[in-house]
Amino acid sequence: MILRTKTLSAALALAISAGGTALAQDAATPVPAPQGGQTQQSSEPTATPAPAGQTDAGQAGAAPAEAPGAPAEAGSGVTPSGERATAPTQSSEPVTTQDPAEETPMEAPTVPSAAQTDTVEEPGAGTGDAAPAEGTTEAAPAAEEAPAAEGAAPAEAPAAEAPAEEAPAEEAPAAEAEAAGEEAGGPAANAAQMTEGQEAAVPAETTGQVVAEEGHDDIEGHAAEGEQPAADHGAAHIEDIAFSFEGPFGKFDQFQLQRGLQVYTEVCAACHGMKFVPIRTLHDNGGPGLPEDQVRAYAANLTPVLDPDTGEERPRLPTDHFPTVTGDGMGPDLSLMAKARAGFHGPYGTGISQLVNGIGGPEYIHAVLTGYTGEQVEQAGTVLYQNTAFPSGNIAMPPPLSDDLVTYEDGTPATVDQMARDVSAFLMWTAEPKLTYRKQVGLVSVLFLIVLTSLLYLTNKRLWAPHKRKLHHKH
Amino acid sequence: MAGIPHDHYEPGTGFEKWLHRRLPIVAVIYDTIMIPTPKNLNWMWIWGIVLMFCLVLQIVTGIVLVMHYTPHVDMAFASVEHIMRNVNGGYMLRYLHANGASLFFVAVYLHIFRNLYYGSYKAPREVTWIIGMLIYLAMMATAFMGYVLPWGQMSFWGATVITGLFGAIPGVGGAIQQWLLGGPAVDNATLNRFFSLHYLLPFVILGLAIVHVWAFHTTGNNNPTGVEVRRTSKEDAAKDTLPFWPYFVMKDLFALSVVLVLFFAVVGFMPNYLGHPDNYIEANPLATPAHIVPEWYFLPFYAILRAFTADVWIVQIASFLSFGIIDAKFFGVLAMFGAILVMALVPWLDTSRVRSGRYRPQFKWWFWLLAFDFVLLMWCGAMPAEEPYATISLIASAYWFAYFLVILPLLGVIEKPEPMPATIEEDYLAHYESPTRMAE
Repeated sequence: MILRTKTLSAALALAISAGGTALAQDAATPVPAPQGGQTQQSSEPTATPAPAGQTDAGQAGAAPAEAPGAPAEAGSGVTPSGERATAPTQSSEPVTTQDPAEETPMEAPTVPSAAQTDTVEEPGAGTGDAAPAEGTTEAAPAAEEAPAAEGAAPAEAPAAEAPAEEAPAEEAPAAEAEAAGEEAGGPAANAAQMTEGQEAAVPAETTGQVVAEEGHDDIEGHAAEGEQPAADHGAAHIEDIAFSFEGPFGKFDQFQLQRGLQVYTEVCAACHGMKFVPIRTLHDNGGPGLPEDQVRAYAANLTPVLDPDTGEERPRLPTDHFPTVTGDGMGPDLSLMAKARAGFHGPYGTGISQLVNGIGGPEYIHAVLTGYTGEQVEQAGTVLYQNTAFPSGNIAMPPPLSDDLVTYEDGTPATVDQMARDVSAFLMWTAEPKLTYRKQVGLVSVLFLIVLTSLLYLTNKRLWAPHKRKLHHKH
Repeated sequence: MAGIPHDHYEPGTGFEKWLHRRLPIVAVIYDTIMIPTPKNLNWMWIWGIVLMFCLVLQIVTGIVLVMHYTPHVDMAFASVEHIMRNVNGGYMLRYLHANGASLFFVAVYLHIFRNLYYGSYKAPREVTWIIGMLIYLAMMATAFMGYVLPWGQMSFWGATVITGLFGAIPGVGGAIQQWLLGGPAVDNATLNRFFSLHYLLPFVILGLAIVHVWAFHTTGNNNPTGVEVRRTSKEDAAKDTLPFWPYFVMKDLFALSVVLVLFFAVVGFMPNYLGHPDNYIEANPLATPAHIVPEWYFLPFYAILRAFTADVWIVQIASFLSFGIIDAKFFGVLAMFGAILVMALVPWLDTSRVRSGRYRPQFKWWFWLLAFDFVLLMWCGAMPAEEPYATISLIASAYWFAYFLVILPLLGVIEKPEPMPATIEEDYLAHYESPTRMAE
């Protein structure tokens, strides 16, 4: 598996670097991504997204540039390493839009941005103009760098303008879209990696299409089953998703986790911490499996840590955890979110739905992210956003996702649905990083015990045989 | 030691004789393992071994977990995550421990209901039964306190609700509750004492379990017919029994292995199925969860606790007669503990002289209704306290008490038992050596 993964990533890295135009302009980037030449430890295809919003003012904008470390300095085009051509195209509104917490009543739509500088805007205040206020410049990271990469686009412009409000509107349809399976590419891409051997190296998109149909079918099938509405909570329908990590043989899809990490970093991290997750685990097998140098660079791009001994700040290391994010308008910690929510209930308190579909934490997250109707209500001076998956029907978190909010390295189309799936899968990993190992242990244990049981059955039968038959002969 | 006549240990070598005169430990072990066991025991007699396994599993995994756990309100939740993420195999240790508690209760409930059906609690096994009830109470206390340790939302609020039960005691309730908690509310003092007791009680259970085994090794096992093993001679006894080793050891190990297949499937593939998502949220005294639900194994008694609301006439009568001292809350607490108390007193409430439900035509129906009632209560306990669940809970609670307080005493008088086999051997032959059996 490891071997295959490395080979895959090497091949992908080569492909990308070949296809991607120059890019390698900025040699100065701290952690130069491995160039094509060093296939060996070639970086992972998806490259680690730089922690956007969070970073301090300086590199705040580190932009989703995947370049690992690439703390895109000020104006310098991201152009990080050689390969990752795809830059965060329109990482535009990323930060600004999303923010607050689900639960906290006060999500100022605007607040978001620079986590650190929450003071900037008052929550409720500027609701109307979700616009990335000036204060949030850091937040709007990508903006500047973005273009660098694929020339993609004048991301900046959109960034600034994209009003938060729009987002919801767009997303709504997206949510439903799933049924249609438009984004088939997404799941498909994963599927591709799982099923196909080396060829997977081909840019995700192509292979993606191929497998698209299968994946699609699955999705629909499950969707059908998942219809039953949650019994306990008034919440509406939460669609079941055939995640790769479900079932006794389930494994996390490494590439999906990397995409999910990118979404988390560029979008969620502005308002949500993950204080229980050690950054070093990004390198773990069974997880995102980022190369160590990328993990180091990723950590360095996050907010610094206050050293309790010296009282001074120092750069965050891989041995540290993801940042803790607190404050007005900030959301709950996401470390365990995928296990702290249930997507499925009932029916009638029997738990059968959870037995069949799983508890549904990741499905719930996906449903919330795609469940915005675009309606808003104001309660006690706080703007809430109507959401079909949220138990009370109205959530404090403004719609965080919009199509193409991030740009995936592997070319997977960044639809709202796709991003929601990826980040849901990623959060399942953060909640249960040992899931793959656990299932392997479970499988081996069960198989071993079945063999043991068979032997004990035969032993017991033989042992008792004389006492169950002996007297019979007398009859 | 009285008991079923059988061959006893005879020290052979010089060393054995030397040791036997000073410490007859080998003889004790030999007599325990070789105890004559009714040969007609069915598959419901395997839960004792499963329970022993659970106790050992919980103690072993628990001791290792303690090495990595920090009992402090600021660190408990994080230390559990540390176990899940950083400790080698920690995720399996914790899931084995958490689901081990569930297996423990599955086994104990099946064990209890087997006793209720086959009349194992009747003379001369009342002491075994009472000790078993004490073990059950200790298990509930241990499980409850263990659930508090991860310091999640359900831990905290479960602790708040359950300790609040003691606060319902008139007059001294508030003081008792505060004494239990170590302060006015669930806090660090509570967590620390629960941790201490959670570590202590399993060893109390272990001691009780040894006495439990001692007791029924003295009286001999009950069996599906409820007919006693003949003790008139070693030869007669041998016709009714087989030695525990190897016959029942192998049988029990086989059954245990089957159970463990399911157990490891749950631990490996759905370890959080029996838990509650809210417990993955760190305890927050300022945010009450929408539904506070105890672990599944407490649900039947939780349903009884909630069933007696102020608008129930029996509660109103109790309140009137006690001049308001017994309010609805206190009544619910009394009902909950009373439900366990009546079960503990069943040896004296059941007036029938026939042990096994197999030969009691009417009893069977009432028994299975009780089993259904138990499941129904469990379901009600998981549902919100609103109609129609409140009414269902009340009816189901009433049946629970009626079974022990009315039905069992009356059945012994009015029921006409069916003919029973004279000996265990007769029953055994009917099952295993009859021509019809062989025809199969």
